[in-house]
Amino acid sequence: MDHTTRETIGTLPSVPTLDEETPFRTMMASFDEAARILGLDEQEYLVLRKSDREIAVSVPARMDDGSFRVIDGYRVQHNMGLGPFLGPVRLSSDLRIEELRALAAWMTWKCAVLGVPFGGAAGGIKVDRASLSRSELERVVRRWTASLLGDIGGERDVLAPEFSSEEDVMAWALDTISEHERVTANPAVTGKPEALGGSAGYHDAVAQGLRIITRLAAARQGLDPSCLDVVIQGAGTVGGNLARVLHAEGHRIVGLSDVQTSLFSPAGLDIPALLAYRAEHGRLPASVSGVRSLDPAQFLEQPCHVLAPCAVANAIHAENAERIQAALVIEGAHGPTTPGADEILGRRGIPVVPDILANGGNVVVSYFEWVQNRTGFKWLGDVVDARLRRMLREAWDAVLEVQEEHDTSLRMAAHILAVRRVAAADHARGIYA
Amino acid sequence: MSTGTAAPATKALQDEFNPFLSMAKGFDTAANHLKLDEGIRDVLRMPDRELTVNVPVLMDNNRVKVFTGYRVQHNTLRGPAKGGIRFAPEVNIDEVRALSAWMTWKCSVVNVPFGGGKGGVICDPREMSQRELERLTRGYTVAIMDILGPDRDVPAPDMNTNEQTMAWIMDTYSMHARRTTTAVVTGKPLNIGGSKGRREATGRGVMISANEALKMAGMRPENTRVVVQGAGNVGGLGALLMHREGYRIVSLSDMYGFIHNPRGLDMPAVLAYLKANGRLEGFPEADYAPTTPGHVPQLELDCDLIVPAATENQITSINADKIKARVIVEGANGPTTGVASDILDSRGIIVVPDILANAGGVTVSYFEWVQDRMGYFWTEEIVNSRLEQIMVQSFGAVRATAEQYGVPLRTGAYILAIDRVASVYRMRGLSA
Repeated sequence: MDHTTRETIGTLPSVPTLDEETPFRTMMASFDEAARILGLDEQEYLVLRKSDREIAVSVPARMDDGSFRVIDGYRVQHNMGLGPFLGPVRLSSDLRIEELRALAAWMTWKCAVLGVPFGGAAGGIKVDRASLSRSELERVVRRWTASLLGDIGGERDVLAPEFSSEEDVMAWALDTISEHERVTANPAVTGKPEALGGSAGYHDAVAQGLRIITRLAAARQGLDPSCLDVVIQGAGTVGGNLARVLHAEGHRIVGLSDVQTSLFSPAGLDIPALLAYRAEHGRLPASVSGVRSLDPAQFLEQPCHVLAPCAVANAIHAENAERIQAALVIEGAHGPTTPGADEILGRRGIPVVPDILANGGNVVVSYFEWVQNRTGFKWLGDVVDARLRRMLREAWDAVLEVQEEHDTSLRMAAHILAVRRVAAADHARGIYA
Repeated sequence: MSTGTAAPATKALQDEFNPFLSMAKGFDTAANHLKLDEGIRDVLRMPDRELTVNVPVLMDNNRVKVFTGYRVQHNTLRGPAKGGIRFAPEVNIDEVRALSAWMTWKCSVVNVPFGGGKGGVICDPREMSQRELERLTRGYTVAIMDILGPDRDVPAPDMNTNEQTMAWIMDTYSMHARRTTTAVVTGKPLNIGGSKGRREATGRGVMISANEALKMAGMRPENTRVVVQGAGNVGGLGALLMHREGYRIVSLSDMYGFIHNPRGLDMPAVLAYLKANGRLEGFPEADYAPTTPGHVPQLELDCDLIVPAATENQITSINADKIKARVIVEGANGPTTGVASDILDSRGIIVVPDILANAGGVTVSYFEWVQDRMGYFWTEEIVNSRLEQIMVQSFGAVRATAEQYGVPLRTGAYILAIDRVASVYRMRGLSA
């Protein structure tokens, strides 16, 4: 599975598109620039550039046929200034510690922007889950968890799923930790099934977050935030859910696409029907009467208020950026806008709300799950919604404040905010020992 | 502990100026009203635990210096111990012990689930570098770590310690325990588990107490002329909040002197001036008089309400007769001596005692601990509204107790506080 497909289906979206050779360096480039703008002390910034701790474990597991396999496992913990680590567990046969390093740091910055009290981590097991039977997978996950027991837990390092389909992995990890510690260790893992302490609203969290940010950004652009024309690229977990929640709120989804089809209708699409079709057939219908099927290359260039690329990286690039007709771009996917396109859109006065701020709804709801587990009190769905609104509004306001202070793009403002918050926490805590 | 601007000349004054004797007097009076038997009195008088530690610190000149520190847990019947840590040359075990008892009663008056504690290190922070202070703080934290913890003992800032000190304590404890433990200490910076609304919490509590006291006296903020002694977090912010509430602040002091304007001070302008100039002297729209040792003329101004929010022993047998206010709200700890207290009572002046009036600080510390335990942080509006709820409720309980026993508010507060601790003692019994 390559990075782009991972981004289209993930509910805990991972890192921006990375250079294969130096994923950490490419991810950090913009944060290096943020630190420079902030005038951060070089030595202090060095602490932020390195992982606090990188753990490599060998995971021996018995296969169903009686043989053994020894599988590589990792957990990279980037920075704990703001609180316990939080980060995904990735199962992939071509997993490399370099990409986990980048992902862990990305999580640090994302948590900081969103104002959730966590540092960033990322872990993984170098295995293709499809190559294992269910019982083999369970043994691998349990052994990986057991190998890391001293370093994970609700106040040390909180595990999160990379895809919602990994509820089972989360449940096994939680059970292993709980059995060892002889307590119910719910806060050690988020993205759990609701029966094990998962939060209401987790599955829709990314889409809800995008919806909230879209409204805030639209209002700032002088658009009517309750009635927007929206083009959404991608109809999966992120794009499809976003189309559903925006449509339900009364907005007009004028464009929706998936890998095969790009549908556009200025009068608005019948989203419930399209999503029902997609749920049944695994793709959007090739044609719909009264609706234009566009060339994918032209799809993003249609007139609309809000363009939400929720599918692949680099969807908006230097070639098509000049022809974008949206008033506003909201990044649902990771890194859908190339740096060149960023510059062009900036010059044309089309704000781009960056991924780190826009698509973090699931990180916030992961945090809510952890809070609910700590207090032992489950919030109702509308409480989760209201608090998600509060957190994202505060993050949005904070980013705008930095943007005004430094007169820069929303993306750079978000990155500056992230570095500033982590550096301030590290500074206050000082160097231990 | 410094004895304020008025230096006691005689033995009688020395005793009067000992705030801990004043507190002991308050305790005994209340215990008599409650008819507590000797055994319980002893339990409540003596600290549960006193720890003395000697902390070696590598100084910047590469020499090792050993500092003596204390942590006293006076009583943990109602919950973990709670109380500040001070760094000062005059720290001594008697003072730390007395202050820890004070915290037990204060937490009990506002009914937050803590006992009382206090800590201190004998050192002169003015003579130490930041690096030395950091190493001292970390060393002291490790030394008392066995008795610290969110469910054991939760320190807070006090004299010469601040947000930064609390951040070091949090970091040291967390690194040792190998888990993020924000709830081990309160008064932290916002970004590592601090609470919104903490800086102004004590001042806000003073303002709320004043509102409640006015209701008792049948007065209204618009017709109330206020003299505020002290221009820091308690006096300055308290005066600002009272100004917004409609009070007429006629005088404010700092450590050098006081400004006075019978028509009322424009508090935002005063605080802006103070911030810009470092002192109140020269503020254009008011008269100014410097402070002279042994004399506190500001408190004798014509006014309706006084908020002593600077230091202890400001209202004494010397000036209690000359106070013109009808209401006093004690923002500082121990601003009124025991003797003065009796004089004010006999003159019918309403005194809202320190353990109630300035408990806004410990209340928001409690909120910080609650937020840290769940990991979810409240908006400032929620912090403020919950603070108001607790202050109003506590004032009502103190007033009801005072009326029930036919005593002034101060004695009522002690009766309420001691009775709450004593009743927990009776329920919990002796553990072994």
